[in-house]
Parts: sequence; C-alpha cells; structure tokens
Amino acid sequence: MTTQSDEAPRPGVMFPGLRLPDALRISPLVLILIAILLVLIVPPVIFLVNASFHETLPDGSSGAFTLRFYRQLVSGRFFLPSLANTMIYACGSAAIAIFIGTVQALIVERTNAPGRKLAFLAAIISLGVPHVLYTVAWLLLLGRAGPVNDLIKTLFDQHQALNVYSLWGMMLIEGVGFVPLTFLLMSAVLRSTDASFEEAAMMSGASPMRAFRDITLRMALPALCGLTLLIFVKAFESFEVPALVGLAGNVSVITTMIYQSSRRAGSPDYGEAGAYSICLVVILFFLIVWQNRLSQNAQRYQTITGKGFRPRLIDLGPWRFAASAVLIGLFLAVTVVPVGMLVFTSFLPFYEGVTLDSFSRMALDNYALLIGPGSFRDSIVNTLVLGAATATLVVPFTALCAWLVVRRAPGAAMLDQIAAVPLIFPAIILSVAFLDVFVNMSIPLYGTLLSVIIASSVRYLPYGMRYAFAGTMQIHSDLEEAATISGATRARIFFRVLVPLLASALISSWLLIFLLSTQAVSLPLLLVGPGSEVMSVTLFELWQNGQVTELAAMGVLWIALMTMVSVAFHMLTRRHQMAV
Amino acid sequence: MKASKSSPFRFVLGALAASFALVSAGATAQEILTSRAPNREQLLIEGARKEGQVVLYSAAIVNQALRPMAAAFMKKYPFVKLTYWRGDTEEIVAKLSAEVRAKNVVADLVEGTGVGELAVEAGLTVPFTTPAADELPEQYRDPRGNWVSTRISYFGIAYNTRLVPPDQVPKSYDDLLDPRWKGKLAWRIGTSSGTPLFLTGIRLARGEEEAARYFDKLSEQKIVNFGSGSARTLVDRVIAGEFPIALNIFAHHPLISKAKGAPVNSQLLEPVNTTAGTMVVPKGVKHPHAAMLLADFIVSKEGQEIFAKAEYFPVRTDVAPLEVLAPIVPKTAGVKELFVSSETLNRYTESSQKIFEDKFR
Repeated sequence: MTTQSDEAPRPGVMFPGLRLPDALRISPLVLILIAILLVLIVPPVIFLVNASFHETLPDGSSGAFTLRFYRQLVSGRFFLPSLANTMIYACGSAAIAIFIGTVQALIVERTNAPGRKLAFLAAIISLGVPHVLYTVAWLLLLGRAGPVNDLIKTLFDQHQALNVYSLWGMMLIEGVGFVPLTFLLMSAVLRSTDASFEEAAMMSGASPMRAFRDITLRMALPALCGLTLLIFVKAFESFEVPALVGLAGNVSVITTMIYQSSRRAGSPDYGEAGAYSICLVVILFFLIVWQNRLSQNAQRYQTITGKGFRPRLIDLGPWRFAASAVLIGLFLAVTVVPVGMLVFTSFLPFYEGVTLDSFSRMALDNYALLIGPGSFRDSIVNTLVLGAATATLVVPFTALCAWLVVRRAPGAAMLDQIAAVPLIFPAIILSVAFLDVFVNMSIPLYGTLLSVIIASSVRYLPYGMRYAFAGTMQIHSDLEEAATISGATRARIFFRVLVPLLASALISSWLLIFLLSTQAVSLPLLLVGPGSEVMSVTLFELWQNGQVTELAAMGVLWIALMTMVSVAFHMLTRRHQMAV
Repeated sequence: MKASKSSPFRFVLGALAASFALVSAGATAQEILTSRAPNREQLLIEGARKEGQVVLYSAAIVNQALRPMAAAFMKKYPFVKLTYWRGDTEEIVAKLSAEVRAKNVVADLVEGTGVGELAVEAGLTVPFTTPAADELPEQYRDPRGNWVSTRISYFGIAYNTRLVPPDQVPKSYDDLLDPRWKGKLAWRIGTSSGTPLFLTGIRLARGEEEAARYFDKLSEQKIVNFGSGSARTLVDRVIAGEFPIALNIFAHHPLISKAKGAPVNSQLLEPVNTTAGTMVVPKGVKHPHAAMLLADFIVSKEGQEIFAKAEYFPVRTDVAPLEVLAPIVPKTAGVKELFVSSETLNRYTESSQKIFEDKFR
C-alpha cells in the first residue's frame, strides 16, 4: 500500500487529487490496485474474446477468424425465448431472494424477536450446502414422487398437483437458495445503518411500516441496488437450477442453451460460450455504470458518524413472538427441510420417496464408503488451505478497493467495474481460461494448489467487493477526516479507523468467501494436478458416478464440516469482541 | 525433451531421469512406445526405474477402480510412483489439449470413454504397442496402434418395477412408441454417450431413412431431457418414481440397485449399443517406459480383474464380469450387440445432436 504519495493530505479532503482539473488524474494507490486487478483478470478475458472470434480447432487451439458465434447466438431460434425466460427467471429469483432475505435481516437486526441471532447459524449452514445438492434436495422434495406431491395427492385426490420442472419451480429453488446470501449481506448493511432516524420517525408518529418504507429502505437503497444486481447477475449466469430443473421441463435459458451448444460436437468448443460471456460482460458493464450513478450521492446515505452508531432495537412488544415465528418458518424452509431431506436420503440404500418402508432400510453404508480410505481424507487439508487463503486474499483487497471507490479516489470507479467482471464468466469458461494461462506460464504454477487459490480469488472478488462496498458506503467520512486532522496517515486511517468499523462486515465476508470457494467444483477440477485435489472435486466425481444416496451422505458430511468451521470461527471472533 | 513445469523439483528430476533413461536404453521415446523387442519388458523396467513415476489421467471411479489399480501396480513395480487425476471426458480432453499445446505434458497415459478417438483425431497422441492388446478381440484395438480398449459399457433402458408392470416392459425400440409412455420416458442429454449415442445406434442399425421415420414417431413421446447429472443419477430418479422409464443408461446400474432391493430393473433392446473405454499416450510423454508398464498392466489379466471388481466390463475374454452383472452381457442374454467405436460415435455425434435439436428439444 502506498501510504504517502507526493501530495500531503489536506484536512477535510481525502484525496486532494480530486480537486485538480485534470480528470485523468489517478491516485497512485488506485493505479497499483488497478494494475493488480488487470494482471489477474485480463488473461482470461483475452482468452474469452479470442475464443469468441475464432474457430476452435480439434486440439483446442484457435483457428480462423469468425463472427459465426455471435451470429448463431442472435439468430438461433431458441435465443429470444431463452432470453425472455432468463430475464423472468433472474428477476423472479432476485425478487424472492431479496424479499425474504430483507425481511429476515430486518427482524434480526432491528427487532427484539427472541432467538433472532440463530438466523446467522441457519444462514451459514445453508451456505455450506453445495448448490448442486441443494437443488437435488429440493427436487427430491417437490418432484413428482416427492412427499409434497404425495401429500397433495392424498389430500385433494389429484393425479398430479405440482410440476416443479417449470419456471416457477426454477425461480423458487434459485431464489430460496440465495436467501442466506441476501440475508447476510442485508444484515451487514442494516447493522451499519444508524437506527436513530427510524426512531425519530416513529417518535414523530410514523407507523413502523412507514418508518421502514421512508427511512430504512431509502437509506439502504444503494446497497440494496448493488445486492439486487449481484443476485440478478448470479441467477442470470447460474447453471445448476436451469440444468436440473429447467431442461427437464423444456424451459430453456441462456446458460443451458450455451451448455447444449458447447456439447454439440464431441470436442471442446468454447466459441459460442465465449460470445455469450462477452455479451454479458457488456450488459454488466452498463448495469454497474448505472449503479454507480445511483450511488453517486452516496454521502446522503452515510450514517455512521463520530457518535455512537450501533443501532438500537425496536421493541415489538407481543409481536416479537410472531417475528420469531417468521424466522423459524424461514429457517425450516430454507435450511431444515432441504438439509433434512439430504440427511434422510443419506441413510438409505436407494431413494424411492418418503415411505415408512424406507425407515426400516436405514443404514450407515453410504457413510462407511465415504469415511473409508481416500475421498475426504486425502483432500481435507488442501480444501481448508484453499478456502482460507482465498478469503484472506480477497477480503482485505476488496475492503481497500471499496473504500477508495466510496471515497471517490480519482480513478477508483474503474476498480469497481474491473472487479465485477469475474462475476459473469460461467465458471466452466473461467476454468478453461485459467487452465490455458497456467499451463503456458514459465513459472511452474500449473497443477499446484496455488494456481487454484489465484483463480478462485479472482472468481470471488465480486462477492468481497459487494460486502465491503455495502459496509463502507455508510461510514461517514468525518471519522476519517478527524483522524486526518490529528495527523494520521492514510494507512493508519484505513487500519485503525475503517477496518475496526467494518470488522463485522469483513468477517462475514471472509466466511462467505471461504464457504463458496471450498465448494466450487468446475474451477479447481481442471486446475489441480494429481495430489493437489480438493474435496469438491471428490464431490464432483460422486456427482458424475455416484448414487443419489451417496451424494447425500457426502453432502451431509460436508455441511457438518463447514458448520464446524463456521462455528469455530464464530467463537474465535467472539472472543476477540467482534460480533459476526 | 521438453521440460516439465509442474514443479521445479519435478522438472530437474524428470529431465535427469528421462535423459538417463534415454541414454541407457539408447532409444527415443517413440521407439520405446512401439518397441516389440524380445527384451522389451526388461528395457521398460530398467527405464521406469530411472523415471520413478507415472501419471494417469482417467475417467474411472477413484475409490473402486483407480485406487486399487494404483496399489496393485505399485506393488508389482515398487520403484514407480503412480499418481492419477480423475475427470470426465470433456475435462480430460480440455486438460490434455492444453498440456500438449503448451508442450507441458503432465499425463503419461490417458484412459476414458470417448477420450481416445477425440484425442487421436486432434493430434494429441502418439502410437504405442502393448503386447497384451494382441490377446483382445479385434474391435478393441486400433490397427494403427493409437489406442487400446480398456473396458466395455452396455446400454439399455431402466424401468421402475412399481410403475411398469412386467407385461408392459418395452422389449424393443418400437415398443417405446406405445402412446402409454408419452411423457414418461427420460434420457440424458449434453454428453456424447447420452442422446447422441442412442440416436447414432438407431441410425446405424436401421439406416438414415427408416431412422428418421422412427425419430418422428419417437419425438411425439415428449421425452424428458435430463440435463445435468450422470446416467447413474438418472437411474436413481427412476427408482424414486420421477420417471417410469429411462432410455440409454448403463445397463448394469439398475442391476446393482436391484440387488439392494430397489424397485428397478434393466432391459436390453436389440441391438444393444456397446461402447468401449480406451487408453492413449499423449504427445510429448515424459515417462514413456513407465507409461508402457502401466498400459501393459491395465489390459493384463490382473488389471482387468480390478476393473471387473469395480463393476466395469472387462475387454479380455478370459476375465469374467461380476456375477450380478452377467445377465446384461448381450452374448449371455442372447441379444445382438452393436459396437459403436469412439471413432464412429465421434463421426456421428454432431449430426445426431442436430437431429436431437430439431426433433426433441
């Protein structure tokens, strides 16, 4: 970090460079960060652009220049219906996730509902469930032979009541799957929003609903927009739910369309997938520019000032139990039911719906298979190192970037845009791109765990960015200005003022990135070599070859391990007086 | 001799070992790979001793197949350390092609279903000879020496025994056209051993015109496209009662579950689509001696028995598959078999995929 640049900070002005007329002036620190980001992100982008404009030869190298992939993309008869489906699906999932996640975060952060803090545990358990398994669990539950349909059939005597293989099924499963993420991010936002405005509004006679609508929601607006964008894009590029749920119901979205086209010939062909990613990069670029404009007036939303800022809670009176009931209901729907379904299935030799017979067949065979030599044991250390290293690299880096962006350091807006780019790469494309980069490097990184760490740091940058951004946005610059006046250097301000204020957001961010990066499958699969495998690769192998029941057992073990890690982390931070 | 880049340590060691090996044997890597010298085995063992290691990329299951294979190989040749990386066909081809293009080849031997011909055609491999291959039926080896088959797969349909009464089980491809199965059939898409194999098999067996007429009728059945997940998980969905019948699944999977008491069974349709896994040697192989020892071992009686125990069907006629799986070996069942080599499948995949998109999507 460059702490002292040529210009001495003047009181009240974070970045004196801003005052200079030269619009192109970029602060040296920002320049360094941009350089780091470019080094990480440009190689895969080049690979993508290249793949999208060139034929792929059978050996994987690129052939003649062509525009055919873009033409195919636009002229294909599935393109427009798929695009429409994708929009509905992404909007619907984002709406479900944001709505439920926000309600949950409001209850937890703003009310005195009993037991509310347990919602964090629930969210963390859900985040530990690999997405593929989460989807399978929902399908076991809502599928044609699942208990829900059984129940409906018995109650209403209908042949088949629910068809989960449809757009609503996709939105529901994807949306609910994102609830833990939105909940964690929204609570980070709410926790750093001063509740005294709400109190003032209510004192002046506003109803809690009105206070929520006119104060809380508005103050959280920029962060909420960023979050909506994140979930929207995430759903836009998601693959598991469209593939497992959508294809079976002939609901085609962009990602499954690309998947099918990239598998058309036997040999690898990334042209159309590349073209698609490039289109998405362009769309995302405009979305982020728009979001930046929205948060241009970010100062209006700064609520953490020099005075005590920890929000006070709203006493719901007797309604607090109703709020707890809502939390319990969400806990059941988002965590207990799908995880319970996995646990149930994991003890069975085969799954044929929830029947009484099944209970008599329960055994530990699937677990015995997994705990035996290999599988878990070989790769556990690698997996923990991967998760911890990725999170440790991403969190401080994104905190610094977000701070510079929010404080409008010259050129910093670019940081936000560059760091968001990895979000729209489909994971499989990103991994092929990184494979190409590492295998051609003169530094012997190919096949090592370090290469996986670098790649997953890039992949999870945008998540770290959203977290840090949400937190930083609401910290008023007066604290930093006070420190500046007292003679603190920028480094000192960052570490002594900003980091402590952001601590809880950063810790949640760390945990989230840890959980996400340990369960990523397609990224490590191509990058690891013999001996550097991580657990998710084993999971993938089971996914390819194993039975549903074995997969469920693996999922349960995984969730147990991730929960242990999270709880240990929780206790560790609590001992250091930091609320997560 | 290209330098390995996987680790500086391995680089130095690999380069040293390889150059020693070459000097002592006085032969190029290609000569070693295709050697038919009477003292071939002796030369390989001496060379492999100096190479000290061998890397296998394979699509076989780790726990049941690769792990015991590695243990048995290293017991026989304790001076060679065998490490493996497991991926699916698509990943293996992606990784292999990246390595060969970058001249940074880590794999010494590559094994999988559908990998062989793709890699050969892309020019990613070099020919090799293993004497054990001479003992295999002709269709399981390449006359040009580019690949040798390692294991066989038979395809059939899986049906839920609770949802499909015994007298209604489809016994032929034409039985699938019965209107009662409308919306009740599922098949796996997105991989060449899925729908492309099924469609290619029909085209090969019936000729294009008749096949096209058949596909028109079949498309009215509104087959469910099972998009992500393996053939194995599709069978699990049949067991769960989601789909009464799944087409084009590995015929042995239902038998394994049936033995555990699951309400599922498999049925062969004539002709039975049959494919074979193959092994190839990548261009720029670093440990040719050890690679050949491993290739010999995989098609040896001992290696094939390990595959058989892992629920695969051996290519050797003198190794029997697991008893529980025997009923679906076409020869035993008295059903005609249609061998679709990876070369044929590769040639037909793109056009079969187009038929799928035009009629079934």
